[in-house]
Amino acid sequence: MSLTLFHQHVLEDHLSGFEAKANPNHLAAIRRPAIFSVLAHRGHEVFVKSGLASIEGVQVRDCAPGEWLVVSTGLGAVVMENTLAEIAGASVIDQSDGRALLRIHGPNVRRILAKCVAVDLHPDGFAVGTSTNMLCCHVAVNLARSGGDTFEIVVPRSFCGSVFEEIMEMGREFALTAAFADS
Amino acid sequence: MASLITCPHCGTRPKEEFSIRGTALGRPHPAVSEEDWHRYVYLRDNPKGRYQEYWHHAAGCRRWLVVDRDNVTHDVFGVTDAATFGRVGE
Repeated sequence: MSLTLFHQHVLEDHLSGFEAKANPNHLAAIRRPAIFSVLAHRGHEVFVKSGLASIEGVQVRDCAPGEWLVVSTGLGAVVMENTLAEIAGASVIDQSDGRALLRIHGPNVRRILAKCVAVDLHPDGFAVGTSTNMLCCHVAVNLARSGGDTFEIVVPRSFCGSVFEEIMEMGREFALTAAFADS
Repeated sequence: MASLITCPHCGTRPKEEFSIRGTALGRPHPAVSEEDWHRYVYLRDNPKGRYQEYWHHAAGCRRWLVVDRDNVTHDVFGVTDAATFGRVGE
């Protein structure tokens, strides 16, 4: 007997059946991002960081001193694993199945997120390209600013449904819509 | 009211992101007497005023911090990473 495994996004039950056109305020759940956790060995932090910065087609998210999340919507997990394995002094773990990637953008995105996180997201304090771990809807996530009005959230998979529902609730007054996206 | 702690790695964060472990005591040497270990594990002074505590930034950088604060007024005098705080008492 053979066992057929197929990939199902954790938000499949939350999103299916709703195919409304995207409003200005929109939340996209990325279908299959490659997400890797990278930990630098003691004393290798600077070297690993410069190694990660030289990889093309990935975003590097800061988590803690010597710890990063490497996220890509273009590269596959296998390609990324091989690329990251070349960096000396780092431990790399594939988290693609354990984390979900949400991208929220729109003119009111900061007012929506202000109800979810306790960190000041003003551009003066949280510039484009900044990323950090924080509490969002009572869940420890990694939040990154990828554009002036665009934020990306890496959520632990099993908490993704609850975070998603809460963000949608907070976005109701701004007509936040949601859909899957490939990249 | 939110109590704000300025994490040296993450910036100013609300206390909900942290879990408090208690007084920042130095771990005694393994060879010391059972009485000393008992004191280290179970006995606390519970002072009123300024003292140092271990805080774990559970929802942020997940680093252990030493928060120097006043537990009456909740004035925070300093936050350092526990790794740089040093192992006092050893």
